Amino acid sequence: MSIEVSQVSKRFGDFTALDDVSVSLPSGKLTALLGPSGGGKSTLLRIIAGLEHADAGTVRIEGTDATHLPPQRRNVGFVFQHYAVFRHMTVAKNVAFGLEIRRRSHAPWTAASRAERARIAERVDELLHLVHLDPFASRLPSQLSGGQRQRLALARALAVDPAVLLLDEPFGALDAKVRKELREWLRRLHDDVHVTTVFVTHDQEEALEVADEIVVINEGRIEQVGSPDQLYDSPANDFVMGFLGDVTTLGGRRVRPHDIELLTTPTRVDAVEGTISRVLRIGFEVRLTVLTDVGEVVTVELTRAQATGLGLREGATVFLAHDEPAHRRILQPV
Amino acid sequence: MADASSATRTSPRRRTSAGAWVVRAIVAVYLFLLVLWPTAVLFRGAFADGLGTITAAIADPDVVHALVLTGQTAVLAVAINLVFGLGVSLLLVRYDFFGKRVLSWLIDLPLSASPVVVGLALLLVYSPVYGWFGPGLREAGIEVAFAMPGIVMATCFVSLPLVVREVVPVLTELGDDQEQAARSLGAGGWQTFRRITLPGIRWALVYGLVLSLARSLGEFGAVKVVSGHVIGQTATATVAVESAYQNNNTEQAYAIAVLLVLATVLCLVVVAILHTRDAREKG
Repeated sequence: MSIEVSQVSKRFGDFTALDDVSVSLPSGKLTALLGPSGGGKSTLLRIIAGLEHADAGTVRIEGTDATHLPPQRRNVGFVFQHYAVFRHMTVAKNVAFGLEIRRRSHAPWTAASRAERARIAERVDELLHLVHLDPFASRLPSQLSGGQRQRLALARALAVDPAVLLLDEPFGALDAKVRKELREWLRRLHDDVHVTTVFVTHDQEEALEVADEIVVINEGRIEQVGSPDQLYDSPANDFVMGFLGDVTTLGGRRVRPHDIELLTTPTRVDAVEGTISRVLRIGFEVRLTVLTDVGEVVTVELTRAQATGLGLREGATVFLAHDEPAHRRILQPV
Repeated sequence: MADASSATRTSPRRRTSAGAWVVRAIVAVYLFLLVLWPTAVLFRGAFADGLGTITAAIADPDVVHALVLTGQTAVLAVAINLVFGLGVSLLLVRYDFFGKRVLSWLIDLPLSASPVVVGLALLLVYSPVYGWFGPGLREAGIEVAFAMPGIVMATCFVSLPLVVREVVPVLTELGDDQEQAARSLGAGGWQTFRRITLPGIRWALVYGLVLSLARSLGEFGAVKVVSGHVIGQTATATVAVESAYQNNNTEQAYAIAVLLVLATVLCLVVVAILHTRDAREKG
C-alpha cells in the first residue's frame, strides 16, 4: 500500500471535515476520492499532501510516517483545481521549478553546473512532450487555454518524480468537452507513467470512467471503497447507490432505471403493470415515467432503438420487471 | 462589411453633449486655480532671473544641508518601509491572529491623523526632557528627538501605509495557491517567498515605495515638530522652505520648493512608467 491514512480527524471550527477516517490507497493505481461538495474529500487530499494538518491520526507515504513532515519533504506532486501555475514564469520555467529548487549548487561557470542545467532542460523537454505542450515552452501561462494550463500544472508536478501524484478536482474548472478529453488523456498518461495517483472529484461519471479504485466519502466518513464495478453493482448503502447513478423504486426495492426490463405483454409472472405517463428523449436515451397499478412512480431508461422498437408512447400499458444486476450481466453480456 | 459601414454612417459616433463640456470646463478651471496656477507662479518666481536663484540657493551650505538631510531621511525611510511594509502586508494577508483588525486600522491611522499630532506624540515619548524614554536614551548617548532618528521615525510613520495599502490588495488577489504549489514542489519558506511571492507583488511593492519616497520628501508637519527645526542641523528641505519664507528670503524658498516639486514629479513619472509595464505584463 502506497498511502496509509489511519484514524484521521479534522475540524474547521464547528464543522467536522473528517471524522476518524482510515483508508489505504494502492500503489501504482489511479484512485478517485468521490463525494459531494463539503464531504471532506479535498481535505483528505490536502492532509496527504501536507497542505493541511490533521487534528488526529497519521499518514504514511511509501512506508514513511509523513504526519509531521512539511509538504516540501513528502515527495508528492500536487495539482490544484485552479492550476496555480506560476504566472510570471514561462511554461518551461514552470516545469523546471521543482528541478531548479532541488539542484545542487555549483558555481554557474563550472562544468558541473552546465551539466546540471542541460539535464534539467532535457527533463523539461521530455515532460512538455509528454503533456503535448512542446510548442508552447517559451509562452507565459496567460497565453494558454484552461486545458493547457492544467496539463502544464500536471507536467510541473511530475517533474520531480513524486512518489504520489495528488490532483484536487483537476478538471473542475474546465468546460465539459475539454474535461472529457483531459480525463481520457489522464487515464492514458497514467497507463504510461504508472505513478500512484489520487484525484478528487464530485463527478461520478469521471470517477467511474478513469479510476481503478474509488473511495466514496460523505460527511467526513468513508462510505465504501472498491472498484468502479463493485461500487456500481453492489453499493454498500443507499448513499453510494444514489451517488453513483440514478435510482428509482420498483416493488419497494431501489433499482437503477436502466436495469428495469420493460415488456409490452405480461410474459413474466413477476412483472408489474403500469401506464406510461411521460416520455422524455435525452439524446440517445429515452426516459419513461411509469405509473404502476400499485401506485408507484417508476423511472425507466431505454435506448432510443429499444423505445422505437417497442412503439412506446404516453398512455400505453406496459409491464415492468427487475433482475439483480449480476443476473442481468450473465443473460445479456454487454 | 457593407452592413457595418452603413451602420456607422446612420449612427455616427456619440457626440460629446453640452453637459459633458460643462463638466470638463469646471474640472479644468478647478485644476487651474488649485494646481496649475500656483505651481506656475512658483516656477516663475524660482526662474525669474534664469538659474541664478537656484544656483544661489545651492551655494548656501544650510540649504545644501537641508537637501542632503531630506535625501538621507527619505532613503532611510524607504528602506525601512520596504522591510516593514512587506512584513506587515504578509502578516495581514497570509496569517490569522488575534487583533488583526486593530493592526489594519493602526496602519491606516497615519493617513487620517494630522502629521503634527504624530510629531507631538513622538516627542511625548522620546523628548530628552519630558518624554517617556527620552531621558534614558539620552543617558545612553542616543538622541532621537531633535535629531535624525526622530526625523526618520516621523517620516516612516506617515509613509508606511502607502506601501502596505499598495501591496495588500495585490497579495490578496495573488492568493496562496502558487505558494502552496511551490511548497509541494520542494521549495522552502524563503525560496517560496523569493521565487514566487516577491515576483508576484514586485510592481505593487515598487509602486508603493516610490509613492512613499515622494511622501517622505514632502513630509513637513511631523518632521517640523520632532526635529526642532534648527537651520543647518535638523531642518529638512520642507522646513527650510518655510523658514526661508518666514525670513522674507522668498527667492530661496522658491528655489528649494521648485527642487522638491521636480523630485516629486520625477517620482510620479517613474510610477506612470511602472504602471504601463505592469499592465503590459498582465495583459
